[in-house]
Amino acid sequence: MNYQRKLRGLVLSTGLAGIIMQGLIGTAFAQTFNQSPTLQEQVTSGALPDVAARLPEKPFVETMIDGVGTYGGTLRTTILANGDQYNLTRTIANELLVRWDPKWSKVEPSLAESFTASDDATTYTFTLRKGLRWSDGQPITVDDIMFWYEDVFMNPALTPAKSPTFTVAGKPVKVRKVDEQTVEFKFDAPYGLFLQQLAYGQGHLPVIYPKHYLSQFHEKYNKDGIPALLKANPAVSDWVSLFNSKISLTFQPAYWQNLDLPTLNPWILTVPYADGERVAAKRNPFYWKVDSAGNQLPYIDNITWAKLDDPQLMALKMTSGEFDFAFRHINNSTFKSVLFDGQETGNYRFVDVKDLPANDAVILLNLNSNDPVKRKVFQNKDFRIALSKAINRQEIIDLVYVGQGAPAQVAVQPEHELFNEKEATQYTEYDPAAANAELDKLMPNKDGEGFRLDETGKRFTINFMVADVFGLSYPDVMQMVQQYARDVGIDIQIRTTDRARLNTMWSANEQDAYIWNCVGGLSEVYTDPRCYMPFQKADIFFAVRWAEWYANPATGEEPPENIKALMAAYDKVNAAVTDDDRKAKMKEFLSLSAENFLNIGISRPMPKYMMVSKDLKNVVDGIPITGNLWHPAPTLSQWYFDKAR
Amino acid sequence: MLRYIAKRLVFAIPTLFAVSIIAFIIIQLPPGDYLTTLMADWASQGGAVEAGTVAAMRERYGLDQPIYFQYYKWMAGILLHGDFGISFELGKPVTELIWSRLDFSLMLSLLTLCFVWAVAIPIGILSAVRQYSITDYTVTFLAFFFLAVPDFLMALSAMYVMSVYFGQSVGGLFSPQYVDAGWSFGKLLDLANHVWLPVIVIGLGSLAALVRIMRANLLDELSKPYVTTARAKGMSEFELLIRYPVRLALNPLISTLGWILPAVISGEIIVSVVMSLPTTGPLLLRALLAQDMYLAGSLILLISVLTIIGTLISDILLAMTDPRIRLT
Repeated sequence: MNYQRKLRGLVLSTGLAGIIMQGLIGTAFAQTFNQSPTLQEQVTSGALPDVAARLPEKPFVETMIDGVGTYGGTLRTTILANGDQYNLTRTIANELLVRWDPKWSKVEPSLAESFTASDDATTYTFTLRKGLRWSDGQPITVDDIMFWYEDVFMNPALTPAKSPTFTVAGKPVKVRKVDEQTVEFKFDAPYGLFLQQLAYGQGHLPVIYPKHYLSQFHEKYNKDGIPALLKANPAVSDWVSLFNSKISLTFQPAYWQNLDLPTLNPWILTVPYADGERVAAKRNPFYWKVDSAGNQLPYIDNITWAKLDDPQLMALKMTSGEFDFAFRHINNSTFKSVLFDGQETGNYRFVDVKDLPANDAVILLNLNSNDPVKRKVFQNKDFRIALSKAINRQEIIDLVYVGQGAPAQVAVQPEHELFNEKEATQYTEYDPAAANAELDKLMPNKDGEGFRLDETGKRFTINFMVADVFGLSYPDVMQMVQQYARDVGIDIQIRTTDRARLNTMWSANEQDAYIWNCVGGLSEVYTDPRCYMPFQKADIFFAVRWAEWYANPATGEEPPENIKALMAAYDKVNAAVTDDDRKAKMKEFLSLSAENFLNIGISRPMPKYMMVSKDLKNVVDGIPITGNLWHPAPTLSQWYFDKAR
Repeated sequence: MLRYIAKRLVFAIPTLFAVSIIAFIIIQLPPGDYLTTLMADWASQGGAVEAGTVAAMRERYGLDQPIYFQYYKWMAGILLHGDFGISFELGKPVTELIWSRLDFSLMLSLLTLCFVWAVAIPIGILSAVRQYSITDYTVTFLAFFFLAVPDFLMALSAMYVMSVYFGQSVGGLFSPQYVDAGWSFGKLLDLANHVWLPVIVIGLGSLAALVRIMRANLLDELSKPYVTTARAKGMSEFELLIRYPVRLALNPLISTLGWILPAVISGEIIVSVVMSLPTTGPLLLRALLAQDMYLAGSLILLISVLTIIGTLISDILLAMTDPRIRLT
């Protein structure tokens, strides 16, 4: 007994000593930082300050998957020759005040060392890390954020319409400088989702405008110098276009064509995304993250993107080992077998990507159709249910998606805490008899060919706009849906089109119906419920007039009570202050949305994949990615090659 | 001759004017404009489309103006300042973009032309002289085969074979280490190492056509009385062939020679896209897809100008090679 107690005491005291030791070493680490050997020469020659002086006082300490890495190497990847700047954003540009952790479960500090939210969810305070620097070595302070707010965001010429991320109830945020390191964001109404919104890619706005560099292009700061700058650049005509050519909202091409623009990204551009044959970037010597051993990140020295015009060539070059990493454009079922066979020669492995929207193929009937007869039918929930039951989802999944998928409605994914079995699978059973019985009540009369007639006695025809996008084979899916609809007497006409035309059509509310995929499969459902209710003017469009009314009741068309109730339910989510309350309100909203059954889902998506070199370590397997969650960029700074190259 | 050329040039002016209008209308025909493309892009990044921003940009780009005014602005820029406008997507003057790719386009077209002629003419002659022989049948079969295979498919298969079975780096005109390097002997060698594949792929289709044309024309000529006469006078078979029938059979080839100029801009767009060649073809395709109005319009206009110049050159060459043709 006595012996055992002694042993426990011993274990306890050594454990304690260990903790003290760790604490001591921890402080020691805080003082000695290491850097990439490639930078040592510049430090010795005096071109760069010492690494400790380049890092903030408390750098962001990245947690590692495979452990502390080694410096060096060039990450070779690829990009489409045009219109693919988003690929660059997703690889090297997603440094924000606060960020989502790599599992997408919580918002954590990033550029901001800490943040607080007021109890009424209207006021948010952020404290920047002390000693943060832009990639040219200049400090970033609250003044840069104020420059964005006062001179860019609130300037009507530069920002004619305010981003919804920074707007509540039609009123833009008020930003106030508290001190050099502290800034306050204040909203007129409760905005409980602000931190989540700020952690998504679109939250980058406050921290991409370096005042010391951009003020020279701003009328307020350099009125006299601007005419000369305009003269030197034939592509611009006034100071607004000059300013916009130096930095662009949402990382449009101009952002990637300006090599002089200071950034906070781990790598800085050396070859722009312009008309050349490649894009390249080198490490940012002032990057503000370290690993647990005090090594400044990123580990990898350079990144090169081979610019290719065709995804097929991307796949071919991947299999011949010319790239270390690729995912966009070739991570779909079309290329999977070729890429699978090429793993040995290409020296890469597959890593899961949780790119999980709410549904891969959704039938969106236009509830606000300009045709009063169609509008009445589409707005009838029983009609939508009947159509849903008429579709043989499993057959579509087997034939078009080679078994990759599961019959489902627009709903949150099973792995998410908001998942609800009933909401996900209601009306998905294939039951043409029940569908027919239901339709017989709604549209009993048929013409000679067996198609149902509408209330005016004409054949009821739905013209479906079908664009072949995202590699999701919508024309094939619609061919099958057309057949199932015919079996229950509904005439569907397929109109193949392209995305631009579809955009024009839905903007003008001219479409009867179309098929698209739907966001909101995981946590983004909180901030982006565009598939669950008439929300904002984006690519999911089934009730444009109601969405306009929701954005501004002076416009659009007042929706019926049930839709108004749905909108009110979402407003409660947005106003919720605590996580628990928000989750409860969201559950209510989702169940109400499912009850209204606004659109018809077909298939639940399966995870996608990316290819990474077998030599690369610290790669997050199963990283979540969506349209507004710009992963894997925030995790790339910890990647390293475990073999010298 | 000079008068003829001058007359042709004067007539070209109204033609060009008409073509420029048609080019502009064609580009405006698809629904939407560059901003529609941009909006779709924003949406895919999780951004909402803010109507105010789009309206302001439309005004900034002048896209809210009526089409005839946009055309007038574009034309005035070209005629008065040599300014072809700005590419919306790349934010650069159109001329700069076109010039940076023109040299590779020109090189590729000329190399392809040399390759096609150097191979097609001898094979065509052989095929005609040895009509209905094994050689003729083989050549005919291959010619029809290459005519039938779409060139993008040929490009993909060629690249697949070269990459998988020979381990060559395919796509583009240079290896990664030479892409941004200055010109050197090594870079030239690297270019030579890459350029032959696109040249063959692009060339095979027209090569097949030329072989057939050459064969058919030569067969026509070979049966003419002057050949029999020359042969009766004891002229050697080879000299006879080269001096008269072949020279005449070349006519159709020369008359299509002028088309090589427009092909410099538009030629083999699909092959260039599939093989990622730094030529003007992919630039034109992307400009059309993104509705990058001034870039697409300028390229189409340039193609028209080059077609007119090319046809003129063809006519002059024809007059020189064939005395039966008179320019009046």
